[in-house]
Amino acid sequence: MDNSTVGKQRKATIWQVAKAVMFAFMGIRKKSDLENDAATLKPAQLIVGGIIGGVLFVISIMLLVRLIVS
Amino acid sequence: MAAVHGDAHGHEHDDHHPSGIMRWITTTNHKDIGTMYLWFSFAMFLTGGTLALGIRAELFQPGIQILQPELFNQFTTLHGLIMVFGAIMPAFVGFANWQVPLMIGAPDMAFARMNNWSFWLLIPAATLLVSSFFLPGGAAAGGWTFYPPLSTQGGLGVDFMIFAVHILGASSIMGSINIITTILNMRAPGMTLMKMPMFVWTWLITAYLLVLVMPVLAGTVTMLLTDRHFGTSFFNAAGGGDPVMFQHIFWFFGHPEVYIMILPSFGIVSEVIPTFSRKPLFGYSSMVYATASIAILSCVVWAHHMFTAGMPAVGQLFFMYATMLIAVPTGVKVFNWTATMWRGSMSFETPMLFSIGFIFLFVIGGFSGVICAIVPIDIQVQDTYYVIAHFHYVLVSGSLFALFAGAYYWIPKWTGRMYNETLGKAHFWLSMFFFNLTFFVQHFLGLAGMPRRIPDYNLQFADFNMISSIGAFGFGMTQLLFLYVMINCIRSGEKAPQKPWDGATTLEWTHLPTPAPYHSFEKPPVVQ
Ligand code: HEM
Ligand SMILES: [Cu+2]
Repeated sequence: MDNSTVGKQRKATIWQVAKAVMFAFMGIRKKSDLENDAATLKPAQLIVGGIIGGVLFVISIMLLVRLIVS
Repeated sequence: MAAVHGDAHGHEHDDHHPSGIMRWITTTNHKDIGTMYLWFSFAMFLTGGTLALGIRAELFQPGIQILQPELFNQFTTLHGLIMVFGAIMPAFVGFANWQVPLMIGAPDMAFARMNNWSFWLLIPAATLLVSSFFLPGGAAAGGWTFYPPLSTQGGLGVDFMIFAVHILGASSIMGSINIITTILNMRAPGMTLMKMPMFVWTWLITAYLLVLVMPVLAGTVTMLLTDRHFGTSFFNAAGGGDPVMFQHIFWFFGHPEVYIMILPSFGIVSEVIPTFSRKPLFGYSSMVYATASIAILSCVVWAHHMFTAGMPAVGQLFFMYATMLIAVPTGVKVFNWTATMWRGSMSFETPMLFSIGFIFLFVIGGFSGVICAIVPIDIQVQDTYYVIAHFHYVLVSGSLFALFAGAYYWIPKWTGRMYNETLGKAHFWLSMFFFNLTFFVQHFLGLAGMPRRIPDYNLQFADFNMISSIGAFGFGMTQLLFLYVMINCIRSGEKAPQKPWDGATTLEWTHLPTPAPYHSFEKPPVVQ
């Protein structure tokens, strides 16, 4: 995963970042997908993605809870 | 590839350190500092353990026999503080000091002098905590969570505690910055992040959590300090403040803190189980992701400690759901360890026994955690022995068992000698037996309504308390056996081969002689 991608560092799509974060929240990831992530995603992207994911996670539970108590 | 350069090159430097006491005071060597961390935490473990035995002696029978209520409260408070901040956390930092450089192929920690300072800060902090028993009014007595108003009203002991927590926090922050920098910048060529051993990954994530929450703790105790001495009213309702706000701030630190104490033990277990199953860790990538998500989620569940403090239903439901979702990545890990063992050619040396014991008992602790997370149930069990049982299952048979596993696993590398396997196994089985004797019955006590932090109790709780106290004394004595096994190993254990565990694959076993030379990896190894 180091040099194989040096030449063709593809840009990660938002969808790819979102998918990586989603899988992180579940804690499950296929080895090949992980290697793909490691090759295309930059740490900064993952950190921002993780924070956005965390906020979305909180908001969605909030919405669920409001739905239940309303 | 054995003994690559360590023998040829390392030995000439081997004795390049001052001897006697100055070696330890001035050392910047990660191995020396790791050793000091480990001995310090073991000393604190025995201190905290003595306090625990005091508590259990008082609770052996109903009525007040040994400790007056005031002193009893000081014992419970200092037991918690010493175990959390003095024993478990420094022990993990000791492991990080020894193992992180060895496992990533670095010559030392990134900030070697700061490393020395983070260790030596622990000594005044521990002195403050222990000596506070001898102050007028005694030690802090408001519980390890030091909720106001008790902590704003207490005597000088509380100030000692606040100062100690400040110092320990500074030490932890420096330690974690050191660990993060070492891991990110000093890996051997070829050791990409995704090739790092799991122990290193878990410590990297733990260190980030520490940097995130230790300042929050420092802020909380500072607010307490100004409330006590400088006329502020952060937590004083009479002055417009709010004692419940303290609980929010404290647990915003406190819940990530419990994960700080468990993630490195996940790391240790993730090294030991593949070695003794002779298979690579199942789902390494899932493990990395699961650790990261546990760390993130652990920051949004704190109020599950406060369900009875008064909270809108929306808040209770939110924290209940969020807490239960944490069980998902935790479950992934348990699944991965089990799958690693599945059809492996397993052997059951002491480190493996402690790791399997860890999985088994940690799962029980995880389940009782999920039960506590259910609001209507928690309103019943909050502040009872059920919670005590829960967190001792995750902290003693979780964190502590993993520490034992790690100690047995790496002691040959550290000392060049093998421990006595028979005695190690005896230590495991006795710990297992007495641990469950002590803490399993506390579930029943809690469900029957016995409150925590009380020196006396009603007669219907007598039998289980007696069983629990017997177990506690047995557990305490068993740990002296551990001390004996370790000293025996260091002094007169059999010489260990370079790789006593044939299934081990990490750099410290494959690229370094045993014992690891004083200076290792001066030239970085090349990975693959
Ligand atoms: C599956 C994961 C876990 C869940 C769902 C969980 C849930 C809970 C809940 C709801 C409480 C509050 C109970 C109450 O006060 O009424 C609690 C208390 C506690 N938990 Fe956990 N927990 C989990 C794992 C852990 C781990 C891994 C540790 C530490 C290594 C830990 C340490 C503690 C401690 C120390 C307390 C008590 C704090 C105190 O009041 O003194 N828990 N847990
Ligand atoms: Cu918690």
